[in-house]
Amino acid sequence: MTATAVNVPTPTAKHYLNISSGFWSWFGTLDHKRIGLMYLIGTTLAFLVGGLFALLIRTHLWEHTGMLFEPGTYNQVFTLHGVFMVFVFIIPAIPAALGNLALPGMLGAPDVALPRLNLVSFYLWMIGTVFIVVSLVWGAVDTGWTFYTPYSAQSATPVIAVGTGIFILGFSSIFTGLNFIVTTHKMRAPGMTWFRMPLFVWAIYATALLQVLATPVLGITLLLLVFERLYHIGIFLPEFGGDAVLFQHFFWFYSHPAVYIMILPAMGVISDVISVHARKPVFGYRMVAYSSLAIAIISFLVWGHHMFTSGQSEFALMAFSFLTFFVGIPSAIKVFNWVGTIWKGSIAMNAPMLYAMSFLIIFVIGGLTGIFLGALSLDIHLHDTYYVVAHFHYVMMGSTAVAFFAGVHHWWPKFTGKMYSEFWAKVAGTLIFIGFNATFLPQFVMGSQGMPRRYATYLEKWEGYHQASTIGAFVLAIGVGMMIVYFVHSLIAGEKAKANQWGAVTLEWDSPSPPPLYNFEKDPVVTREVYDYSVLTHKAESHRA
Amino acid sequence: MHVSHVSSAGTLLKVLVALLILTIITVAVSRVDFGGANLFVAMFIAVIKLSLVMIWFMHLKHDTATNILFILSSFVFLSLLFLFTIADWSTRGDTDPTLTQRAPVTQGVYPSSLRSDH
Amino acid sequence: MSDAHSHATPTPTGFVPHNVAHHFKTWEQEFQAAKLGFWLFLATEVLLFGGLFAAYIYYHGAYPETFKVCGEMLSWKLGALNTSVLLLSSWTMAMGVRAAQLSKKTACFNWLIITVLCGGAFMVVKYFEYSAKIEHGTLPTAWFHPHGPEAEVLNALIANGGQPSMFFSIYFTMTGLHGVHVLGGMVVITWYAIGVARGRYHSGHYLPIDLVGLYWHIVDIIWIFLFPLLYLVP
Repeated sequence: MTATAVNVPTPTAKHYLNISSGFWSWFGTLDHKRIGLMYLIGTTLAFLVGGLFALLIRTHLWEHTGMLFEPGTYNQVFTLHGVFMVFVFIIPAIPAALGNLALPGMLGAPDVALPRLNLVSFYLWMIGTVFIVVSLVWGAVDTGWTFYTPYSAQSATPVIAVGTGIFILGFSSIFTGLNFIVTTHKMRAPGMTWFRMPLFVWAIYATALLQVLATPVLGITLLLLVFERLYHIGIFLPEFGGDAVLFQHFFWFYSHPAVYIMILPAMGVISDVISVHARKPVFGYRMVAYSSLAIAIISFLVWGHHMFTSGQSEFALMAFSFLTFFVGIPSAIKVFNWVGTIWKGSIAMNAPMLYAMSFLIIFVIGGLTGIFLGALSLDIHLHDTYYVVAHFHYVMMGSTAVAFFAGVHHWWPKFTGKMYSEFWAKVAGTLIFIGFNATFLPQFVMGSQGMPRRYATYLEKWEGYHQASTIGAFVLAIGVGMMIVYFVHSLIAGEKAKANQWGAVTLEWDSPSPPPLYNFEKDPVVTREVYDYSVLTHKAESHRA
Repeated sequence: MHVSHVSSAGTLLKVLVALLILTIITVAVSRVDFGGANLFVAMFIAVIKLSLVMIWFMHLKHDTATNILFILSSFVFLSLLFLFTIADWSTRGDTDPTLTQRAPVTQGVYPSSLRSDH
Repeated sequence: MSDAHSHATPTPTGFVPHNVAHHFKTWEQEFQAAKLGFWLFLATEVLLFGGLFAAYIYYHGAYPETFKVCGEMLSWKLGALNTSVLLLSSWTMAMGVRAAQLSKKTACFNWLIITVLCGGAFMVVKYFEYSAKIEHGTLPTAWFHPHGPEAEVLNALIANGGQPSMFFSIYFTMTGLHGVHVLGGMVVITWYAIGVARGRYHSGHYLPIDLVGLYWHIVDIIWIFLFPLLYLVP
């Protein structure tokens, strides 16, 4: 290990943020950390836009007759919420933003393996997003984020523009994943064996496999949809002998693994955050690493559970239902190992840890309700109800987004060199936890009673639940708003962060905060096992001596 | 420092000849009816051709295990897509035959209600 | 990182030296990283086309008679010719990579240009095939209005519950996407042929030629499957 002076800041030191300036030093940069920061800002903006649509939805549903929109407009609003949140925010959020920031440093590498491709991927993300935003000129798309045929073939809204945008976003995601796979294989520092890699790297690696192997099928699906609208090929239209269910097969072949593109990196963040803030090696390190790969592989075998009521054959239904339960095994392995890691740990309830704890509670609820939905007979009743809405928000928003926040809080001092207010971070974290649960717990109840999703109006008997949900959404929004404020404040007037703010032992903390351009002052050589916190004690002792 | 394999011109030529002969075989066997095995026979020959191109033209024979693993895994995952979609399609209506009834099909004319110019 | 990492790979005389990128320690590392990345890209190509093959299998299963009859309307002779042309181009590409590895500038340039010409020949044949289809109205769903010599057969097929427009939708989508890949490959190979002529690629830096070769072979492989599936419908 390079012995970095932990508490001796060098104020005039050149780091990756101040080494050059100007527009092109950012938009032409090949530095993974700058690209990661730009992704962080971009995806956060997308999250805020998607969140705005969510607030509009919740406000509209305050009254059972609907408060704000015509039903058609309501369809457009929830579609935009889904498209922004899924394709523009969650898919790139953790891999592209946090992965770019932290992964090369964690491996002891000076940069990702293919820096130019990394920049290309960021540009593709921007271009794809521009397509989606510009499509609003022709009126917002109203098909739902799933673009099911035959409706998406006939909707009068700009499906082509949005479809093309998502196609491009898909390639951005593919190139990010490809880059991380190559980086993990070829850029590890001497001594960094596979089983010395932090679990965040393992999770990003498993995610990258999914990005590379699943996303092309989304690409061809959207291409066929665009062809359908441009050239009327009829492949997915029953009127012309096509099969709309085939579209759903194609779509979910990607979009089910995509669910794990969202949650796997979140699990990686949580593994690292919990280990650092409980000051204990991750319990069952190898099992957690393997379970990431297991989740990635199983995710390709279960997509049909999104189509339980779509007219698949009974055989396919049973096969998919059966296979779905297997996802529970590696997920549970992770949860038990996290709890085992915390057990008897030396827990510091720092802000990242608070978010990680929120994640644990929310993910268990989200995961277990998923088991119910995987049960064929029960799903016939719950399909396309608010129960499903609540379930996937528990996983996508409550787990992935909260883990994303945990990761941002964890690595913020490292990559901005500034600290945020711990107090306000904890207040915001608590508000987000309370607001989130208040929003989505009532939706489980409504859903189990049969409240269908995507309806602009509903029966009066659910008004109380909907209002509780709306209030929760605003509490959540206040928490997120608070978070934005103290992060911006931290950039302007935050205290200087220490090189190793939390006492972590992964390599990215082994350099000053913010790190120099190529991450390390001296090429690292790894001689210790991962999460071996005894080195910190040794370091402190050698300092005293 | 950096050793990489240079294929011999003779080997490459032999592979080309093999590929052209296999193309002739492809056409020839398409004239023979193997019943249900027709698709299997055609694909079997195509896979041989694929292997020849990959092993010698694309140098997989001398490439790293990782590269071989990744390209093979793309075929494995693709076969999952084939497997499940075919499993669904080929068992539709096994318990409830009404499920196989098809919507009335139109030919050629694309109704104006389905046309949209966005 | 120290500057010691940026160094040129061994360059034969008369060629442009190649510097290993700053973030790689060795030429080997740079080479293997790019190669792994490119194989992953090829894996995405396999899955991209794979979706279309899945659609083919799906509808071939649904309309076996249609596929058989419509497949016979494509000229297997032109298909076989195009298959041979592409196989030939794959061989010339492999020879081009070999020449680049051996720093044979002129030979490499010539092999690459022959490859591009083969690609061009493939596209010309494809153009004639497409024109015939357009003339006879055997086109994807919206434009399907057969009026050539095949019209009678196709109408009989439709009367029996066949779905010929589906075959032509799949035919045009698959060969069209493949054709776009051929055209793209031709442009890129031409670009690198110019680089070869300028002496940029040699035994110390043949990686880009190697990679574009891999791409060209995968395009060939896709055609190896398209030919029996579309022209000789099993």
